[in-house]
Formats: sequence, structure tokens, C-alpha cells
Amino acid sequence: MSALATALGLVLATLGTLVMGALRLPSVPDLFLLPVGFAARRGAAGRAMVVAVAAGLLEDSLTVPGRLFGLHAFAKVLVAFCLALVGARTLVEKAVPFGALLAAGSAVEGAVVAGLLWVLRGDLFLPEPGRLAVRVVGTGLLAAAVRALLRYPWKEARAARRRRKLA
Amino acid sequence: MSRPAPSARRDVVLLALLLAGCILLLSVQVRRSGGQTLAESWALDASAVLVRGVTGVREAGGALSGWLSFRSTLVRENARLHERVTALEAELLRLRDAERDRNHLLGLLGLYPTPPPGTRAAHVIVVSTAGPFQSAVLDRGRRDGVLPGGAVVGLKGLLGRVVAAGEASARVQLLSDRTAATGVLLSRTARAAVARGDGGAGATVLYVPAVADAAVGDEVVTSGTDGVYPRGLPVGRIESVGRAGLFLDLPVRLAADPRLEPLVFVFPPLLPGEARSPGEPLPVKP
Repeated sequence: MSALATALGLVLATLGTLVMGALRLPSVPDLFLLPVGFAARRGAAGRAMVVAVAAGLLEDSLTVPGRLFGLHAFAKVLVAFCLALVGARTLVEKAVPFGALLAAGSAVEGAVVAGLLWVLRGDLFLPEPGRLAVRVVGTGLLAAAVRALLRYPWKEARAARRRRKLA
Repeated sequence: MSRPAPSARRDVVLLALLLAGCILLLSVQVRRSGGQTLAESWALDASAVLVRGVTGVREAGGALSGWLSFRSTLVRENARLHERVTALEAELLRLRDAERDRNHLLGLLGLYPTPPPGTRAAHVIVVSTAGPFQSAVLDRGRRDGVLPGGAVVGLKGLLGRVVAAGEASARVQLLSDRTAATGVLLSRTARAAVARGDGGAGATVLYVPAVADAAVGDEVVTSGTDGVYPRGLPVGRIESVGRAGLFLDLPVRLAADPRLEPLVFVFPPLLPGEARSPGEPLPVKP
């Protein structure tokens, strides 16, 4: 995944988050985890963590109320490292495993954020299970969908369609 | 176990750096209940350790200084107490000596309630009985009124006579000296005789006829006939009775031992014809 694609992914994630925030949805997928997942898919941990920092800081700037800037960056860096570890040891090419991996990453991120809040604030902010489940499942489905879209052979399909028309 | 690849190590380092950066970023924002940020709290905690360390070092330094000062005080106090103990021991020895002298003098005065005028008390500082002559040295001399010819008596009896007197000391010929002779009486029978030193620790009574009455344990006192010793001073007791030709062989155990008489009376020399000390009772014949 090129830097341009990563930047594009981050921009799209930012826009998507803003849109979903404007829609006042109770629970949304973790859009910022998608570029991190794509960066970590081949096992490039350093690159994945850099993308995770950027994504986490963007997410913090958009969603965290204040004085916790870096919360999601921390969690995403950890998740990125774990995803890169997995990506370095297995081939994550198909959409469903990729979605499942990011769903797990989303769950891990939620747990890390809760633990970090507990450490920093002294209060245990456990997310509501339903919202967490929606967020995890939504992230997984979205990741699987994006992966499927990106993996689909658009050029071959178009060429085939063209050949069918000509015939 | 294989070592991690450099890239993996680099990734781990990067992970640690990023996580630490995030934590640092969060810590400067999160405020605790007291109003201070987490970073401030951590900084305070860290500085508290430093402050505690400095305080501990300072207290340890103070304690060490106090201990050194206390030790110095103790050393001085110990030296002072040592000096005091030494002085007190010396004082104790002096007092013991004084008490012993006092008791001895009281004993002498009990034995000789009215010593003749001019009697002096003196310490026996040297006793020489190892050589051929038996003598002693007193710590009093002419300056103190101790003159040659004076009788020297101890708590138990006669010791000898002053044969030479210096300014501050005097030499005494002991009764046990071979050259010492004393006119004596056997108290029980009033038999007059002469006692001569045997060169050891005793004397022998001479010139007592073999037919005379003498028994073991008879007391021997001075007779006053020699012009040196007053009459009636205890000399000793007869140890055994034997015959030596026409006379009896009468060894005498001397009453006074110069080694056990630290303080003695020195009577003034007798004047010509004087045989008896004033106040000394004559031995009574049974």
C-alpha cells in the first residue's frame, strides 16, 4: 500500500467519521483502523505503526473530548504491531480473514482504550457491550468489504464485458 | 534460540518509542483530582524519590556527624574518667596506706602506751636479709630525730637498732644479724642471758647454764643491761631446748618479722645508765 493510498485512506476515514458523527449514529465502525490494517497486512510493522499513530491522533482530534489526545494513537500502535505480527506470519489476502482480523483488532483496541483510561483517570470506562459489538462487527464487515472491493479484478471484468459486447 | 532480526528489533524499538510518546502526550493532559496533570504527578513522585534520597543522605550525614561528635565527647569523657579513676586509685592507695599506718600506729601505741620522749615513727622501706648481714632501711633520718643507737620496735616486738643515720634515712641492724647481741631475760624465770642473731630469721640465747630452768615457748625479753635496748621489749620465744656442753642451746623464734612491719617506732638512744623506757612496765616474774 503506497503512502498516497494511506493518506487517501486517512482522509476518507476522517470524512467518514465526520459524516457518521453528523448523522449521530450511536455506534460507528472504526474507520481509522482500516488504513492501519491495510498497512500491516504484509507484516510491515514500522510502517503500520506510523500509520497507526497518524490515524490515532486524527481520531483523537475528532472524537476524544479533550485532554486525552493520544489515547487512540496508543491503542492503535499496539494493534498495528499485533496486526503486523500476524501479517508477517500468515497470508491475509482474502476479505473474510482480513475483516475478522480487523474486527479482533477493533476489540483489542477497545480493551486497550478502556485499560488506558482506567490507568490514567482511575475510572473504569467499560464500553457498552452492544455498542462495542456493533463497532467490532461493523469494522470487520467494512474491512472485509473494502478488501473485497480492492481485491476484485476490475480491469479483467471490464475487459471481459467489452469482449462480450464486441462479440 | 535465534536472535531477532534487525528489522524486528527496530520495529520493537519503534513500538516502544511510539507508545512512550503517546503516554507522555497523555500524561501532560490528564489531570488528577488534585488539579495536577499526570506528568506533574509522576514528576512529583520521581522528585519525591530524589528528595527522600537527599533527605536520607542529609539525615545520615547529620547522624554521622552526631555520632562523630558523640564519639569525640565519649573519647574525651573516657580520657577524663581515666584520669579521674587513676587519681582516685592513687588516692585510694594513699588512704589505704594511711589507714594501715594508722592501725599500725594504734597497735604500736597499744603495745607501747607511753613511748619515751623523742620516739619517732618510721617506715621500713628496705629489708636486706639475703646477704651475710641482716639489716633494714628506714625512711627517717637525723633530720627527723632518728639517731644511731635507737631501738627499733614493731607491733610484735623488738626489731633491732639504728646503726647509722643519714639525713633522711637510717640503717637498722636486725636482731637476726650474726653480729647483733642483746641482753635478754627469760621472762618466766628471770634468767639473764645474751641473745645473738643466727644470721637467718632468728636468734640464739647464749650462756644459760645447763641446769637452768628453760622450756619451749618461754618468752624472751630485753633485759636493759646492754645499754642499747630498754628493758622489757619482746624479743621472741624459745623454739627448742637442747644442751651444748655446760650451757643450754636455746634457739629463739623472733617475735617481730621486719618484712611484716611496715611502720615502726624508733626510740631515742638510751642515755648512759638508762635501761628502761618511761612507761614500759618491767616484765613480771611469775
